[in-house]
Amino acid sequence: MNRVEIRIPSDLVFERVVRAATQEIGRQMGFSEERVADLTLAVSEAVANAIEHGNRFQREVHVGIVFSLEADQMVVRVIDQGRPDRPLEVRRQGLTEEALQQGDFRGLGLFLIHQLVDRVEFSTSEEGNTFTMWLHINAPDEQARRQTP
Amino acid sequence: MIQMEDRGNVAVIHIRTPSIDALSAREIEEYCGRSRKTTVLDFAEVAFINSAGISGLLKFIVAARKRGHLVYAVNVSPHHRKIFKMVELSRFMPILEPHELAQLLS
Repeated sequence: MNRVEIRIPSDLVFERVVRAATQEIGRQMGFSEERVADLTLAVSEAVANAIEHGNRFQREVHVGIVFSLEADQMVVRVIDQGRPDRPLEVRRQGLTEEALQQGDFRGLGLFLIHQLVDRVEFSTSEEGNTFTMWLHINAPDEQARRQTP
Repeated sequence: MIQMEDRGNVAVIHIRTPSIDALSAREIEEYCGRSRKTTVLDFAEVAFINSAGISGLLKFIVAARKRGHLVYAVNVSPHHRKIFKMVELSRFMPILEPHELAQLLS
């Protein structure tokens, strides 16, 4: 597999379709089940953001997801047609007592993405926004990597 | 999608869906206000949870805490244990082992 493209309407129902495809692609690429789970969650979050914040749930506007191989990395690009004023805010830490009391659960998705993949990039243009994620194919499981001093 | 086992002060809420996401989290939120003094969410059938699903769980936890109730999780997969720890969800919803749940229910 060198490149797989999927286009979905901006409806969260279809995020589930992307998720199923991501699992299969991850397995075909030889990722461990734990890395497949990390990849699937990261792609789920990026696609949900594109649907919600990029295309603002306009069903007739599509989100594109492109999986490709670049050297020893899997690259996933999630492309929407929106124009946010600025990139979404990335949460600096997990949940706190204060956040819980205030009901402030924003930014969890991006926080998770940054924890789960090796590299993230956000770019914007006249055509829309592209959120790109890189995962090393032969990297050890995320948990094992983070436990290594 | 949700089955509630009510034992008075203890309730076990079995989440009977493989996916807790933006679509299914709404059903969990509908159970806000139905917690018991000790409420255990059973994740045995859950294969996927994203941030929208976590937000739904948090709304349930916040509602339970306002009533002075405690929420626990059981049958959490290793991947979801990692995610819960990553976002610090396990601080607010500690994970029980199945034998600890059995003790609670005995």
